[in-house]
Amino acid sequence: MTQTLQTPATQPAEPVRRRKRRRTDVPEVTAKAQARLGIALVTPLLILTVVFLLFPLANALYYAFVDFNGLDPTPPWVGADNFTELAQDPDVWAALKNNVIWIVLGTIAPLAIGLVYAMLVWGIGRGGAFYRVMFFLPYVLPPVAVGVVWGWIYEPSRGWLNKALEAVGLDGLTRGWLGDPNTALYAVLATAIWATIGFVFVIFLSALRNVDVDIVDAALLDGANWLQRLRYIILPQIMPVFLMVTTITLIGGFAVFDIIFVMTGGGPADATEVLGTYAYSNAFQLNRISYGTALALVIMVLSIPFAVGLNRLQRRLSMQGTTA
Amino acid sequence: MRISPVKLLAAATICMVATACTGTSSSPGGGDETQASGPQTIKWLIEEPEDAAALQALKDHIATFEEESGHTVNVQTLPFENMRTILQTQLRSGEGPDVFNWGSGPDFGGALAEAGLVYDLTDAYEEHGWEVFDFAKERVTIDGKVYGIPGEMETIGIFYNKQIFEELGLEAPQSIDDLQRAAEQIESSGAIPIALGDKEGWEGGHYLSMALSSIIGSEGMEQLFNGEMSWDSPEVVQALDVWNDLHEEGYTSKSPTSVDYDTAIAQFYSGDAAMLPTGSWLVGEIDDNADFEAGYIPFPAPDGQGIFTGGLGSGPYVSATTQKRDAAIEFLDFLASDEHATWTVENLHTIPPVPLDTEALEVSPLFAQVLEDVAQFGQGGDFGHNIDVMVDAELNEAMYNGVQAIFTGQATPEEVAANLEAASGS
Repeated sequence: MTQTLQTPATQPAEPVRRRKRRRTDVPEVTAKAQARLGIALVTPLLILTVVFLLFPLANALYYAFVDFNGLDPTPPWVGADNFTELAQDPDVWAALKNNVIWIVLGTIAPLAIGLVYAMLVWGIGRGGAFYRVMFFLPYVLPPVAVGVVWGWIYEPSRGWLNKALEAVGLDGLTRGWLGDPNTALYAVLATAIWATIGFVFVIFLSALRNVDVDIVDAALLDGANWLQRLRYIILPQIMPVFLMVTTITLIGGFAVFDIIFVMTGGGPADATEVLGTYAYSNAFQLNRISYGTALALVIMVLSIPFAVGLNRLQRRLSMQGTTA
Repeated sequence: MRISPVKLLAAATICMVATACTGTSSSPGGGDETQASGPQTIKWLIEEPEDAAALQALKDHIATFEEESGHTVNVQTLPFENMRTILQTQLRSGEGPDVFNWGSGPDFGGALAEAGLVYDLTDAYEEHGWEVFDFAKERVTIDGKVYGIPGEMETIGIFYNKQIFEELGLEAPQSIDDLQRAAEQIESSGAIPIALGDKEGWEGGHYLSMALSSIIGSEGMEQLFNGEMSWDSPEVVQALDVWNDLHEEGYTSKSPTSVDYDTAIAQFYSGDAAMLPTGSWLVGEIDDNADFEAGYIPFPAPDGQGIFTGGLGSGPYVSATTQKRDAAIEFLDFLASDEHATWTVENLHTIPPVPLDTEALEVSPLFAQVLEDVAQFGQGGDFGHNIDVMVDAELNEAMYNGVQAIFTGQATPEEVAANLEAASGS
């Protein structure tokens, strides 16, 4: 028997979209009231955006194209000179190199350690709250306080890091951690990683609670080891969250300033200078406000592609996750 | 005509952005017609003192002015490191302090005066008969106009622990060789010879200033600032080399670039270190905190005792835009008075650059010595210069980084001197 597909000829075709409602369908008084309400609702956000985003951005753009020393009320227009100079400034490239080190290590280390911590605590029943608090605590401490305390830890003669090394017979490793150009950046970075792990840990732990445990158990029965379960079962399920955390830590690497400023001030002899501290020292110590502003704009421009790219990837994975 | 709210908002946005693009260009000035009369509240901005008790003592002392004048003085403080940025911003906005304490020299009060942000006090000097040592007055004079009252006189040298020196049978060093021999002996005894902190960087400016002043003398320093001597001259290299040698021999705190100023001081107070190169501003704290007798000497020269490095601290200026000018000048008259000068010597252990009878003052032996040394400073004695108040920010930055680079082995004294010369040209 042959089946034929028949289309009812008499039934009119469904319109693809509903016709757009004409304005005349709404009474004019109501339309105006709706418009006023809309404006009233949008106005606060618009004002905040203008005052705290557009205004400073326009101001920064203006100062990047003049030569302002912090005092002259009518700074001369210099066009793109500040940007030309920073492209040829070897200190900018040295600072950028430190930023890259910071971004790579400062992103990978907290993600890896935070994930491991989260995985360990994920399976804990009793006492889980204790570990959550303990691991998260460093993140809520003010960066200035963290920097000061770790500065004491790294202090060459009385700091406990050197004392501990001496106690276990590793005297040869003792040094002025923040004053040695070979270790200063990594010592500050280690502090920053310590302070960031708590944030990464808590977010990952929340994401892990949404992982389908049945699939994990099934993989276990199939003989998948710990690493295989992580790679093929767990990570794909928490990937949107993973990318969100990556974005936050990575962008933080471009804009890093406070902890370096507190712990080393960019020294010794610029060894820990990053773009943020270099912009600050130019703007506020050398009175080169315009050059510092141009540097700040470059930091922003450098970080935007990463933020946008990771955000799009995260959104795409989220969509895949919901449609799967 | 009705304008839609959307258009109004768009117009407001454009206006704000356009305003941003014009920069903040409120020009200082303000005519006399805006001046207030009668009792006023004066905003006085000063650097945050290291000792909270000193701030309270100062406020209590200012109360005598408030009672006599009817004015109120609102004392505000800022950490030194934030002072430049905030002060400049406030003064340019016209919302700044009426009176503020700030350093003298081209990179401090000089820059503000050239920008028209401070009030010309030339007439006030004549009217009130303020007496200030000539050398100090020159530091706050630009194009014949006097813009401020110079701050306290300070010297930079080496404090030493007399107890440690006596125990080791040492005399205060009379030459660089002496200093190195003493350091060697102190190091052998297990103590740190020289407490050296250069984590912040600015301390390096003082280290170079004191060594260089003793090597080339006050005239040599003047030649350096006038451009008659280059910054990469053998004498500058020699001064940097002195510190390089002391550090390489292990006569300084371990890793000076890891040690901040306060920690270096603590090493001296605790007796862990025998010498502390810093300024006379620390005398009061040494008297209060050290349980040993301290001496104070200039950094030695290659062939002799050397000279102290002299400098001026922060002194009061009047904002060009203040609407309380008369009250502000009345307050300055109080700050320039003999009574206030005597009070600061006795209570803050600072020495104003004014002729002062110090014989009747009750002070510690260490401070009495500093008073005696500084008295020669005021009377035209031979003193070196603190480099960082005499040069611009660019050269200071090169100096701070350069001395740090020597302590970390990142650069040789010759390379640092070459960088200084390059920065002086820029």
